[in-house]
Amino acid sequence: MLELRSVTKKYGHKIAVNNLNIECLPNEFVVIFGPAGAGKTTTLNLIAGITDPTSGEIFLNGHSMNRVPPEHRNMSMVFENYALYSHLTVFNNLAFPLRAHRMSQQEIQRRVHEIAEILQITPFLDRRPGFLSGGQRQRVALGRALVRDADVYLLDEPISHLDAKLRHRMRGELKALCQRKQATVVHVTHDYREAMSLSQRMAVINKGHIMQFGTPEEIFHTPANEFVASFVGEPPMSFLDAALSTGAGLPEMVITGTEKQPVRIKLDDDSAITLRQRGTPKQLRVGVRATDLTISMTESATHTVPAEVYVVETLGHRDIVTTKVGPHLVKVVASAGMSLRVRDAVWLDINPNTFHLFADEQAIAHPARRIRVPEGV
Amino acid sequence: MQSAKTSLGDVIRHLVMLVVLIIFLFPIYWMIATSFKAAPDILTRPPTWTFTPTLDNYRFAFEEANFGLYIGNTLLVAGVSTILVIIFGSLASYSFARYNPGDGHIMFFILTTRMMPGIAVIIPFFLIFREVGNTDIGKALLIGLDRPGALIIVYTVLNLPFAIWLMHSFFQDIPKELEHSARLDGYGRIQTFIRVVLPLAAPGIAVTAIFSLMFAWNEFLFAFILTRDMARTITVGVSGFISQQGILWGPLTAAAVVCVVPMLLFALALQRYMVRGLTFGAVRG
Repeated sequence: MLELRSVTKKYGHKIAVNNLNIECLPNEFVVIFGPAGAGKTTTLNLIAGITDPTSGEIFLNGHSMNRVPPEHRNMSMVFENYALYSHLTVFNNLAFPLRAHRMSQQEIQRRVHEIAEILQITPFLDRRPGFLSGGQRQRVALGRALVRDADVYLLDEPISHLDAKLRHRMRGELKALCQRKQATVVHVTHDYREAMSLSQRMAVINKGHIMQFGTPEEIFHTPANEFVASFVGEPPMSFLDAALSTGAGLPEMVITGTEKQPVRIKLDDDSAITLRQRGTPKQLRVGVRATDLTISMTESATHTVPAEVYVVETLGHRDIVTTKVGPHLVKVVASAGMSLRVRDAVWLDINPNTFHLFADEQAIAHPARRIRVPEGV
Repeated sequence: MQSAKTSLGDVIRHLVMLVVLIIFLFPIYWMIATSFKAAPDILTRPPTWTFTPTLDNYRFAFEEANFGLYIGNTLLVAGVSTILVIIFGSLASYSFARYNPGDGHIMFFILTTRMMPGIAVIIPFFLIFREVGNTDIGKALLIGLDRPGALIIVYTVLNLPFAIWLMHSFFQDIPKELEHSARLDGYGRIQTFIRVVLPLAAPGIAVTAIFSLMFAWNEFLFAFILTRDMARTITVGVSGFISQQGILWGPLTAAAVVCVVPMLLFALALQRYMVRGLTFGAVRG
């Protein structure tokens, strides 16, 4: 089991990683997911022992790793830039970690050929990395990390630099390989789909802080705050500022910026109760996923929110329509047959049991859990 | 018309190159030719182009003027100082490239030691080696006046700043991740340096070694002042043929050929490295 307890890393006055707590169960595939500069690679380097934490402790199977140099941690890492030894052939790159552990020649031969076979790099064993394509290099880098039995495998954006098609295939292969290895894997990525599809649990981090740590389903359906909500999902969640208007009956929200012709959104009972428990904050943000909204050309009982078409992105089987509700941009997935044009007047269905409520950037209410897979477009 | 024009340009260009080459190569030709001439042929005026070659001059240089010893001294001094320069220089420039101690000030200080003309320190060196030469340590390590250890120390000191600066960029070009990767693969710091860093920096180290060797081979001033006979090097030996009785052209050119040819062949063999090494230290992962 790998554990990070209150790990902080500062470079001078700059805090790269702040009070990080992560716990990876044995054989768990954990993804660290965040935007560029969030501290993902720093976290991995801290686990690997390449950098030392300013404070906090890292434990592996109950032993503190803080004073253990990288070569004695029994961890294996794939680097973002592959870090292949350009003076060695592919074979010797793969054999390099095995030689450090004083393995017999036959065993080295056997293992290198085995992993080369799995990764389909056998034809290149005699070449040097300089003569390989990006995808081949990346396989060699993966092979070098996976050729030996480590307690923890650390993968730093190992497939992010591949082209879309190859990346898609490698994602599946990577998952299969790691399952075969029966080891803890910490995988760093800024790609939402990679994070969702690979992880058993994922840590969303931003500016060195953990925003949320949980299963992909938890992260998708119950994002802890606006950052997680906006960062997970494609197209990203849309947000509407709204003011709570208290009166008789069910509470209503008025979307900010539409005061002249107020656009009202009704709340359901659950949300109303939650709001009361939170001390009825005056200012709220409503988060809606594009896939949870529907769009209509005419007003109806369900489609009550007037909007104007702002941008239409065609994807073939469906369109992503960005609409304007008052001053706010709201993305909606529409079927391709609607043939909407910019500035068309449309009506949106913003249903209380599909939206997330946020106050002060923290989530206060989520829609009742429905069973659905996270959906891409 | 167009092609005729270009070919005329080519002709002119080649002619210019030919003239320049003749200007540069003629002294070397003349040196080699003179070394095979008998004394009367050397001094005839106007100079003759035809002569009967003889090895007398070489025989004289080696048998009478002790050139075997001088070559041995040069090889010893240049070789050992180059090895020392590479050992100390690679370690120093690696740590400058990775950890930058002194925020660049120490690097700059090292460079400033080369701003001083050699002649300014030659008397202090002379006095130091005279004193050290009389001590037991000096005697044991062959350090002192007219001992090779003195020249080895001086050449190492003079070459190190240049070597550190030259190798610095080569070490900087090696991605840090390669070292991190080697550490995670299970190698300690020193093993990582030997197995990953040094091989990747090999072209840079080769270039540095070449320049260091050539400097030590060609050095005259310190060798002239700090040696008399037993530790005399080849460059000083050559100058010995210019005496008050006259210039012994034959043996002098013979000795000069012996001095120049090894370095010439060496440089020709490695010129690819030298140009590449100085222009770009490209080692990409």
